[in-house]
Amino acid sequence: MGESDNKEEKINRSDFMKATIAGIGGLIGIAYGLPAVAYVIGPAAKQGSSDWIQLGSVNKIEMNTPTLFKAVVETQTGWIKSEEEISAYVLTENGQDYIVMSNVCTHLGCRVRWVAEQGEFFCPCHNGVFSRDGSVVSGPPPRPLDRFESKVEAGILYVKRGG
Amino acid sequence: MLANIGDWLNERFGWRSVWEAIFLRKIPHVNWLYTLGSATLFVAVNQAITGILLTLYYVPTPDHAYDSVVYITTQLPMGWFIRGLHHWGASAMVILTVAHLLRVFFYGAYKFPREVTWMTGVILLIVVIGFGFTGYLLPWDQRAYWATTVGTRIVGVAPVVGDWLLRVARGGDELSAVTLARFFGTHVWVLPAALIILVGMHLYLVIRNGISAVPGKDE
Repeated sequence: MGESDNKEEKINRSDFMKATIAGIGGLIGIAYGLPAVAYVIGPAAKQGSSDWIQLGSVNKIEMNTPTLFKAVVETQTGWIKSEEEISAYVLTENGQDYIVMSNVCTHLGCRVRWVAEQGEFFCPCHNGVFSRDGSVVSGPPPRPLDRFESKVEAGILYVKRGG
Repeated sequence: MLANIGDWLNERFGWRSVWEAIFLRKIPHVNWLYTLGSATLFVAVNQAITGILLTLYYVPTPDHAYDSVVYITTQLPMGWFIRGLHHWGASAMVILTVAHLLRVFFYGAYKFPREVTWMTGVILLIVVIGFGFTGYLLPWDQRAYWATTVGTRIVGVAPVVGDWLLRVARGGDELSAVTLARFFGTHVWVLPAALIILVGMHLYLVIRNGISAVPGKDE
């Protein structure tokens, strides 16, 4: 302790004040800085929710016939809640595996419609035609109907939000 | 290296003499009451920092104001802390400003050559109260709405021009989106501009004239 006592005596009043002010000032800076950073980056740090959206019971899906499901998706951005209705056609060939297709035409975004008589999807805007599983039969669409990632739990069909 | 850069800059800015004028000036032997002005300035800086942060999320319209405040307080990380600092800082601002004024008054420190420092200080007190009054409405909850209803009605009892002043304060007959927008604009643009100019004058005069000593018993 003897040495450190000597050292302390060498610190004069002015240097002590400078060190104290710098120390307290630094602490105050941290007390503002860290919360401010957390506050500013908060909404960006929140991962986009990859919730599963409930479509409905798989019982109402007929074998080999695309069935239309509608679901309301609630999203919250900041303090604003909005609702969006999504529609999807669900096809199953064996009652085990389900293909969930968007009903949005891949050409220019019109809604396609299942026409049971022809056994094809038909887009009214530019006569795009898709087959049962969504692949392009004729017309301008550049690629098959988009598919949702899906799962079945306890007889209820779910699709993944935004995909 | 750092010292060299400091010297190089100092030759061009001359900031060391400014630093010395502000922080190394001679002051009389004073007491803790003389820190009230600096304390007020510190809280004012706190209000500026937290206020700027609040505007990142706050929206001054009737359909969003309350929800955005709730979002800040309950959803954002440390939002409660930033808003809390601004909320309690507002009360501290008024208390410290008045305490500082009382110290100057009872020590007679407003006398020659410091009359203008006093005058700018009195205007600053009015600005601080203006901040408090306009800021109180911004959360747009029941308390804010009715406090401002009553507060603006006080303006209305002024003789002759009262009714007209009431309409100007509210931007119409009733409290509305117009009232909220103008209170917000006043709170974040008009009053801060006034505050910066007046604090600049006030501090310049404090440094220019020096501070007064504690008066003796026979003075």
